[in-house]
Amino acid sequence: MNRHKRILIGLGAICGALWIVAAIRPLDRQAWILENILLVVFVGAFSLTHRRLHLSDASYFCVAVFVILHIVGAHYTYAQMPLGLWAKDHFGLMRNHYDRFAHGAFGFLLAFPIRELLLRFSGSTRKWSFWLALAIILAVSGFFEIIESIVAELVAPGKGVDWLGGQGDEWDAQNDMLAAAIGAILMMALVALTERKTRNR
Amino acid sequence: MNRARSKFADNRFLQILLGCYTILWILLAIHPVDRGDWLLENLLVFVAIIVLVSTYHRFQFSNATYCLIGLFLALHAIGAHYTYAKVPAGFWIEDLLHLNRNHFDRVIHFGFGLLLVYPVQELLQRAAGVRVTWLPWLALATIFAMSSFFEILEAIIAQIVRPDLGAAYLGTQGDIWDAQKDMTSAIVGGILATLAISAFGRRRA
Repeated sequence: MNRHKRILIGLGAICGALWIVAAIRPLDRQAWILENILLVVFVGAFSLTHRRLHLSDASYFCVAVFVILHIVGAHYTYAQMPLGLWAKDHFGLMRNHYDRFAHGAFGFLLAFPIRELLLRFSGSTRKWSFWLALAIILAVSGFFEIIESIVAELVAPGKGVDWLGGQGDEWDAQNDMLAAAIGAILMMALVALTERKTRNR
Repeated sequence: MNRARSKFADNRFLQILLGCYTILWILLAIHPVDRGDWLLENLLVFVAIIVLVSTYHRFQFSNATYCLIGLFLALHAIGAHYTYAKVPAGFWIEDLLHLNRNHFDRVIHFGFGLLLVYPVQELLQRAAGVRVTWLPWLALATIFAMSSFFEILEAIIAQIVRPDLGAAYLGTQGDIWDAQKDMTSAIVGGILATLAISAFGRRRA
């Protein structure tokens, strides 16, 4: 078994074990199921395509970290995530910002594998791949906000943003997308700097 | 630069287009409903024109693309004149379909997707080297991303200009899902244009 395969199985095992632990008595079973629809689609799409995609170890690592963050968030319905509650008390914040952190992590962690796929398959030049990765992150983030609003209207009509994730923030959708964009920009800047350093060496 | 100048000098279509737009823009700059809002909306136009002009010597779009961009900016100029919420055509639609708000802004979000997918495809194909199979998807993603970016900007501007009004500020007209509906309009427009481009084929740029 080669190194790449071992890393892949290791990351899969960690995520799987954590998922099982988090699936035991989540704070709100209905919310947990909703959040996990996302995860099932994501992991399903991934396992179907991973042979053809040939992502790097670094990409798989990024994806696994994001999956872990989401598993933890889903267990606590995001709004009750203990670390976020602690930060809320400690820094005197208006709300539990763990969901926003996860949106930022989504941009930061997934911009990397997306750019890798763009460079490998789309024919995009190196310069444009940074922008297109950011565009995809922002597009997926916007798509997620639309889905979230539709689900909110279906499950709790009229309650608006407060039902799912909003926690009283009237700019919730925009702030979520902004967090994802900032995450993606940070990662792209990091990659651009690292690549320049390696090329100059 | 000389090459670009000669290209512009030879392109009668682009000259006429620019001329028509300038006349329309000047007419709509006279007594807008709200000068402050008009200026704010026109920042978008200034940025678009500056980007298009300053990159012209390196990259020229096809005339079809300039026509689509011109059309979109013309619709936007009308919206800006009437602060979007008070466009007469929007009131007419409101009465006709018994809606509870002026939907002209949503029409323009739809138009943004519909009219700008072709220009984005052209840009991604010629400048970014994107493959034909990836082109429709990446162009849609770009339209969607710009729409999301616009909603973020709108939220930031609203908080700076009128922090007291919150989400009730202008653009939303009291709709809590305004941002989501705007983005949906843009993407529906974008998908329709993408299908039309696929159906009727693209002229090789």
